[in-house]
Amino acid sequence: MSSLLYVHTGGVNNPERSATPIYLATTAAAMDVEVGIYFTVNGPTLLKKGVPETLIVPKFDGNGAPLRRFIDQAQDMGVKFYVCQPSLDLHGLEKDDLIDGVEMIGGAAFNDMALEADQVICF
Amino acid sequence: MADAPAHDEVLDAKGLLCPMPIVKLAKFVKTMDPQKVVLLEATDPGSVPDVNAWAKNTGNPLIHQETVDKVMRFWIQKA
Repeated sequence: MSSLLYVHTGGVNNPERSATPIYLATTAAAMDVEVGIYFTVNGPTLLKKGVPETLIVPKFDGNGAPLRRFIDQAQDMGVKFYVCQPSLDLHGLEKDDLIDGVEMIGGAAFNDMALEADQVICF
Repeated sequence: MADAPAHDEVLDAKGLLCPMPIVKLAKFVKTMDPQKVVLLEATDPGSVPDVNAWAKNTGNPLIHQETVDKVMRFWIQKA
C-alpha cells in the first residue's frame, strides 16, 4: 500500500490554511493510501478541544464551514493524526487538551514515518 | 462514442465539491460486490482527472465516461 505523510504547521491565526492538508489527506485515504498528518509548530492549536467547532474555514462568499467537518471526514476515512510534545509546549497545551483521536509521537518516530512514507507533503 | 455499459448501482454526487465525490465513491465501492458496476454522476469540475486518478490508484477500473451538460458520468467496476 502506498503511504503519504502530511506535515501541518498552520494554526488558528491562519484559518485559510487550516483545512487544505486535512482534505487532501482525506482524499488520499479514499484512494486507499495509508495517510497521516503530523501537526507541528502551530498545527496543534487546531486540535484544541472546542477549536474545530468554532474555527470557520473561510470561503469567498462568507459561507465557510467549521474545521470540525474536515476533521470528521478525515478521521472517518482513517487518516491518522499525530502531534509531538514540544509543539504542544509551545502553546501551553497538554495531550488532554486535544480532541480525541490524536496520537502523541516524538521526533524520532516522525523521522521514521517520513523515511517509510512514499512522499512527505509539507504545509 | 461507445454505448454506455450496463450498471448495477447509481451514485449521485452532483453538487458535491472536492473531495466529497471521491470520498463518497470510495465508501460506496467498498460496499459493492466484485465485478458490479456503479454509475457515478458528478458536477465538480475536477471530477474527470480525479476519478481517473482514483481508479488508477485503487485498481477499480473506470470502464466508460460521458459528459453531458456539465454532468460527468463514470462507470466504475468494482475489482
